[in-house]
Amino acid sequence: MSDQHNPPAIRATLEPERPAPPQAGRARPKPLRALAGRQELLVLGLLLLAGIVLSLRSENFLQPTNLLNLARGVSWFAISALGVSMVILIGGIDLSVGAVMALAGLVCALALQAGTPLPLAIGAGLLSGTGVGMANGLLVGQLNLPPFIVTLGTMGLARGLALGLTGGAPVRELPASFRMLGQGDLRLAGVTLPLPLLAMVTMALLVSLLLHQTVLGRYIYTLGRDEQALRVAGVATTRIKITVYTFSGLLAACGGIIMTAWLGVAAPTAAEGYELDIIAAAVIGGTSLFGGEGSVLGVVLGTLLMLTVRNGMVMLGLPAYWQLSTIGAMILAVVLIDYLRRRRLTHG
Amino acid sequence: METLLHVSRLTRSFGDLTALDRVSFSVHPGEVVGLVGRTGAGKSVLAQILGGTMAPSGGTVLVGGERLRWPFSPRRIGVATVPQQTALAHGLDVTANIFLGAELGWPRLGWLRSPDRRRMDQRASELLAQLDVAVPSLRTPVDNLTSEQRQLLAIARAMVAPARLVVLDEPTALLGYAAQQRLLALIRSWQQGGTAVLFATSSLDHIFAVTDRVIVLNEGRVALDTRTDSTSREEVVAALIGQSERQQLTPIIWALESYYSAREQAERLRLQQRRLERDLAAQDSLNQQLIKQLAQQVRSLDQANLALQDAQRRLLTEREDERKYLARELHDEVIQDLLSVNFQLEELESEAAANPALADELASIRESVRALVSDVRRICGNLRPPTIDSLGLAAALQSFTRDWSARSGLAVSLEVAEGMARLPEEIELSIFRIVQESLANVRKHAQARSARVRLAPASPRAVSVTIEDDGRGLDASLDLAALGRAGHYGLLGISERVALLQGKLRITNGAAGGLLIEAEIPHPRAV
Repeated sequence: MSDQHNPPAIRATLEPERPAPPQAGRARPKPLRALAGRQELLVLGLLLLAGIVLSLRSENFLQPTNLLNLARGVSWFAISALGVSMVILIGGIDLSVGAVMALAGLVCALALQAGTPLPLAIGAGLLSGTGVGMANGLLVGQLNLPPFIVTLGTMGLARGLALGLTGGAPVRELPASFRMLGQGDLRLAGVTLPLPLLAMVTMALLVSLLLHQTVLGRYIYTLGRDEQALRVAGVATTRIKITVYTFSGLLAACGGIIMTAWLGVAAPTAAEGYELDIIAAAVIGGTSLFGGEGSVLGVVLGTLLMLTVRNGMVMLGLPAYWQLSTIGAMILAVVLIDYLRRRRLTHG
Repeated sequence: METLLHVSRLTRSFGDLTALDRVSFSVHPGEVVGLVGRTGAGKSVLAQILGGTMAPSGGTVLVGGERLRWPFSPRRIGVATVPQQTALAHGLDVTANIFLGAELGWPRLGWLRSPDRRRMDQRASELLAQLDVAVPSLRTPVDNLTSEQRQLLAIARAMVAPARLVVLDEPTALLGYAAQQRLLALIRSWQQGGTAVLFATSSLDHIFAVTDRVIVLNEGRVALDTRTDSTSREEVVAALIGQSERQQLTPIIWALESYYSAREQAERLRLQQRRLERDLAAQDSLNQQLIKQLAQQVRSLDQANLALQDAQRRLLTEREDERKYLARELHDEVIQDLLSVNFQLEELESEAAANPALADELASIRESVRALVSDVRRICGNLRPPTIDSLGLAAALQSFTRDWSARSGLAVSLEVAEGMARLPEEIELSIFRIVQESLANVRKHAQARSARVRLAPASPRAVSVTIEDDGRGLDASLDLAALGRAGHYGLLGISERVALLQGKLRITNGAAGGLLIEAEIPHPRAV
């Protein structure tokens, strides 16, 4: 009835003035431009700075042995950090990661000690981590419990399980084939590539592919930014949460097994406190604790920066007691710089 | 008809508060059901339950015979929802938001499929065009859009996949009048396509515009469920308010009605004004352009015309000069020669008196020579009326008409007003030529028996020339250009001469039925 007030003739006069349908891709930022002004770049700069300072102050820093060791150490750390950063992306937190690393390594080591073939033993280790992750996911996703509390609980459970299984004693004398996973190198055309590094790069690529090339990746970012919108759009957010926590457990187990292979010993107290280091590395790399923001590259760079600084302090012979404060100061500094940069961006 | 949506004893409570209280109704395919209720009546809760995001406390919902279990993805069961708070995801761009939860992608691996941006962008542009939404770019984050654009995006999202049931929760609240009308049209098209629509709105106008049935919720209960055709605004509002408050009914109806109609009126006015302004601006600039072009054309035409007139005037003057020269030559040379030949012949005749045969011969030759002289004199007169320079126009016309009448055998009367002063040579000559041309016309075409030429002052600064005959007159339509093309230059020549003198010309059929040519030719005030 009120339709009569809008006769087609009037539409016709309005039509030519209507702007052309929006063109896709016009506003798509160039990859380089997108990178500029991002935290990854800042971290990369700091990393180069740390590398230059350390190579000037310590002749040992640039030694191949040291760099290879650093690369191996970074690898398993970064693999675990990838999982945690996915959890942070959806607005959650995973405090159980350190304990899961220790548990998975230990389960794998115990299985090996019992004579289980290597692939099966690794599978068992991965399964233990995945189980803890899935428990996290179910409690957080299905029951809507706060992730901080849930993962704090599973952290205790996993750590306690590791201690209980071994009676607190580390498992030694692991088979060489297993230790190869953490200590072995791949020599390709004269270049030495540590196996853990290859594993890390592979994982990083896979996670990156998952985050940026799949619908699930979109949902993960969107879940962290606007969970309600995703729910209203009919996406099963609970299942995403379960998936991501499970994935975090799996990656933590992966990192834990490589760590154990690298160390050559499975200690129930291994990786203690690493959950905070890993979260710190992710934050340094630009992952927002509020969710929805962060990248694989950032996480890898953040890990690299943190471990390089730690390694450098050892190289320079600085007392170990000060390492903790240095890392803490670094976190604050990076977050502060990021805050200032953002404020300048938003306030012109 | 088969039931699409069957809601049975649906209840939802929040603590002590019961938002929905045993609500039951059903919706058939292609049916548009309006859902009305005051704020807090339970519309949004119902919409959220049907959207799969909120589980009811009790009751059942069947969609297409299938019982729902919460939470569910509405898309999977063919339900599309447009929630009240536009639930677009922050930070995602236009396309991503439209397709959120229904991304097109490949391969078919569920969540692991890779989004196909190009296909989604294309489809998104189509949907936006259909809804007439103009967004800066498909890559614009939705946070940068207006609330109307955001609401339209939420509606576009409901159109991504074909749905059996569309649930709209107050979709018009954030829309302007034009967009509201588009939405109503969209609802009608859904209706025709067999899609059921559950349309929660607070506008009674919209309810009565599109719905087949109207359900009124009051404090979580169904207060009215009836066919829209068989109810009235009063009844709906009564249910809306609740029976117990009936005494307040009238003012509230009035308030609601006037509020909505005022708002709509204002919207409509705003739209019309905008449209008018736009049209006017466009019209104005177009007009100005046209006027400019026209002025330019007129200017160049004027210039061409002036140049043409100038050329014509020069041509005529030269022709007159040429004639004058020719006439003088003929008069001074040829006639004198002829006269001297005649004189010699006369002498010869007197000498040849002895031979009468020769004398006769000579006399006849002298006669021929005399005729020749008078012929040449007449030609001279035509070329240049000899009297016009010395005695003036009137005398020239007098002699010309007499001569013409004698030669054509038609009666001519010439009336020249008393006291006609001498005019400039150019004008007198032109008038003479006009009369000459007109009379030639009369003889050639008019089949007339007599003609009348009148010369009188029209004003102190103009002279009027009239030539009238009693012939057959003009055809109904006179087209000088056509006459010119046909090779008849008489009237054309007259009109050109008049135009060159900046005079006025009227060619009509006179009272006697013959042709009447009236020319008014301005001249400098006679001294």
